[in-house]
Amino acid sequence: MARDQLLENLVRDFVGEADELVQQTTRNLLALERVKAGAEPPAGAHAEVARALHTLKGSAATLGLSEFSEVAHRLEDVYAPVLAAHAGVPAALADTLLRALDASMEWLRARAAGRDGLGLDVIVQQIAAVALSPEELTPGAPSGAEDRAKQDASGAPVAEPADPAGGWRVAMRHIVALMREVDRLRELRLRIDQRARDVEHALEGLARLGMLAQTAEPRAVLMGVRTAMARDGADLGELVEGLDDAIKEVCTLPVRTLLEPLERAVRDVCRARGKQASLHLVGGELSLDRRVLEALRGALLHLVRNAVDHGIELPEVRRAAGKAPEGTIDVRVEQQGNIAFLEVADDGGGLDAARIRETAERHSVVTRAELDRMGPAEVMQLVFRAGFTTADTVTEISGRGVGLDVVRNQIQALHGSVDVSSVPGQGTRFTLSVPTDIGTSPMLLARASGAVFGLPMLALEGVVRARQDRLHLARGQARFEHEDRVLPLFDLGALAGLRQALTPSEGQPLLVVHVRGQRAAVLVDEILHDLELAIQPLPPELSGIQAYQGAASLADGEFVMVLRPEWLVRAERRAEEVAASARRALVIDDSLTARAMHRAILESGGFTVHALPSAADAVARLRQTTYAVVVCDVAMAGMDGVAFTRLVRGHPDTRGVPVVLVSARDDAANRAAGIAAGADAYVSKKDCAAGLLLSEVSAAIARRSAG
Amino acid sequence: MKVREGANADLPGDVAEVLRVRAERLRAKPAADEEASEVWVAEFPLGDDRFALPLEALRAVLPLSLVTPVPLSPPHVVGVLRFDRRIISVLSLASLLGSPGWRQDPTVVVVVDPGWGRLAALDCEAIPRALPIPAAAVEAARAAHPAGQLVEIVTPGDRHRLNLIDLRNLLELRREGRHGA
Repeated sequence: MARDQLLENLVRDFVGEADELVQQTTRNLLALERVKAGAEPPAGAHAEVARALHTLKGSAATLGLSEFSEVAHRLEDVYAPVLAAHAGVPAALADTLLRALDASMEWLRARAAGRDGLGLDVIVQQIAAVALSPEELTPGAPSGAEDRAKQDASGAPVAEPADPAGGWRVAMRHIVALMREVDRLRELRLRIDQRARDVEHALEGLARLGMLAQTAEPRAVLMGVRTAMARDGADLGELVEGLDDAIKEVCTLPVRTLLEPLERAVRDVCRARGKQASLHLVGGELSLDRRVLEALRGALLHLVRNAVDHGIELPEVRRAAGKAPEGTIDVRVEQQGNIAFLEVADDGGGLDAARIRETAERHSVVTRAELDRMGPAEVMQLVFRAGFTTADTVTEISGRGVGLDVVRNQIQALHGSVDVSSVPGQGTRFTLSVPTDIGTSPMLLARASGAVFGLPMLALEGVVRARQDRLHLARGQARFEHEDRVLPLFDLGALAGLRQALTPSEGQPLLVVHVRGQRAAVLVDEILHDLELAIQPLPPELSGIQAYQGAASLADGEFVMVLRPEWLVRAERRAEEVAASARRALVIDDSLTARAMHRAILESGGFTVHALPSAADAVARLRQTTYAVVVCDVAMAGMDGVAFTRLVRGHPDTRGVPVVLVSARDDAANRAAGIAAGADAYVSKKDCAAGLLLSEVSAAIARRSAG
Repeated sequence: MKVREGANADLPGDVAEVLRVRAERLRAKPAADEEASEVWVAEFPLGDDRFALPLEALRAVLPLSLVTPVPLSPPHVVGVLRFDRRIISVLSLASLLGSPGWRQDPTVVVVVDPGWGRLAALDCEAIPRALPIPAAAVEAARAAHPAGQLVEIVTPGDRHRLNLIDLRNLLELRREGRHGA
């Protein structure tokens, strides 16, 4: 490797090292700034600052980064009196030090990326202008032995011994590859479980035959296989768990690493705005996927700055409102399964719904008509729209209308969601949920209208059986009484656009979903089982579907769509909209893409489309739901389209439904057979390709209506 | 490898025909300069037309049965598929091209790399076949329609019209689809 190239690589490595040292120094400076007169500075903080500055100076000089080294050298000088006095750091000095470190890092990153950054001359001048009088140094308690012990005779800090355990820098792609292999093992475990269940079914089948004596030998073998598979599955499960834990160690960072820039932001905005606020972190001991943390850093910083700038009131305003002059910002982090939840809450003035409405209209974020249709919760969501700001003036901190939409985009880029709630006078709460690659989520699998869905167990309050005496129907909305509450009741099949909403039959399973105080009962056809599954984000074409937080891979390689619980409990309005749509079409085709294409064509004609893969399913469906038209493939496994048409025409309840047959068989005999069976039209695939399906469907409906 | 005379006798007629044509192409291996002036594409039918994808963008051909449908998906999305440990969208080519229909129900999907690091899959009526077309014809057609989803090329031998798909132009608009309730 050429010498220049080697040096460039070393500079790039130094960015990471310097970044860690600057972060540590920032943390220490913020702690030292808070030291009150006569109080003991945090143990070791001074020594760490001095050591970090010394290391930065030396390492930068070694790499020929003289400007950076010069800044570190000046900072050491200006810091020396504070160190000697073992005092707290005056706010003005902290400002200078923090600004200098920020600027130096910016310069270093630009240098490492081969860009031209701003010079550091101005920073050096600013540092030189700092003059601390003895009175400015708050004398601390005289202990300081620990700090001083870490300096050698010349006053330079003594380097800590290297970590005896050592370590490696590993590229993230290698870790990701390892995680994928663990995913494969997890799927293998699921497959083994599935095979064990298959063996169990085979044993049950043999037992039902009743020939116990004749089948004793194969049954004994199968029982042995079943037991061995269960053991292998359990062993593999333990192995996966161990690997998961090891990967977690490598790939995660403590959440508290987020705290330092947030504290800094609170401090800076408070100083700029004349406000008082303190930041509290709950869940800082947790470790999260470091890529997620890195990606969240900007969004959290934005929310915290906003909380101080827009949320927390000025001290005198707070006093007048009976609040403590110092506001509080709580950042709460928790992980459930492989979903990380983050919350930023302030105890400020809260969002002003009337002002949001007025601003949104004034800035043309929405029209008046749209505003009129919005409920209070939807109005709050307007703050995430591009161009929205209620700030009266543009400042360094806010008011440019570029803000929460960026936060939302950042979270959506992570396949997560962001939500806001607010109480006037009491504060605002932003809630973020983001999937992480690490870990699995316990999930309940349920079937509705032929599709299998996953529901995160953390949102499942329970599974109950429908009882007619607890069902109520008012204004088209079904409700279900559950434990002294009346819950909105939704049919999952209908919510997923697969069928018209059904009324539960006696004993049908209902999922009671609970999300942040909101509950709903969700009707499904069948509860399957619960599994630990890793939720993966959906590809971009599907990531906008609010219903899903991702997909999880099952043992057979198929995917199950994982429902977003928030979407389920807020389904009321959507259910009404779906119910209002009158023209329904049923598509029956055993080809997935044919169903998709027919759906696209019919939806373009204003139909609400339900699609089924078999004629037998359709016969059952027609007993429950009325359709304006049925579009049915002719050549299907099981019952074909001609037999289906005959069956429809033979039943008094369905004989009037228009049926349009579609087929690749474009000959007179097949056409005649279809029409003879009672089809209203027979459309070849060639006709479909020519764009005739929609007109044939409309004509068939018109003929039936007229006749 | 020894190839015995009449080795294809047991194969179904269409498979034997494909193998015969491939063998013929291999026998007529082009000269190096001729090879450089050709672009290999994966050609397949859709309705009454023939379409082609740059062969270099093709990653795999998989059976449609591996696709999981996704309720509430936009109309142009057939479902999702697992490939190389990733979830990828399977898109309806007819829907993307605004074609109202097809001749034969698609049975396979082709996994393609549009060039932005994320794969996608498209449904196909039949397994595509590799075909060389003149690079000059492709360049000329692309220059005439730089932003088009398709460029029409007439193959020199059989004078068939071939719609060469520009994957970037075709998929770019659908990349960040925002749909659903």
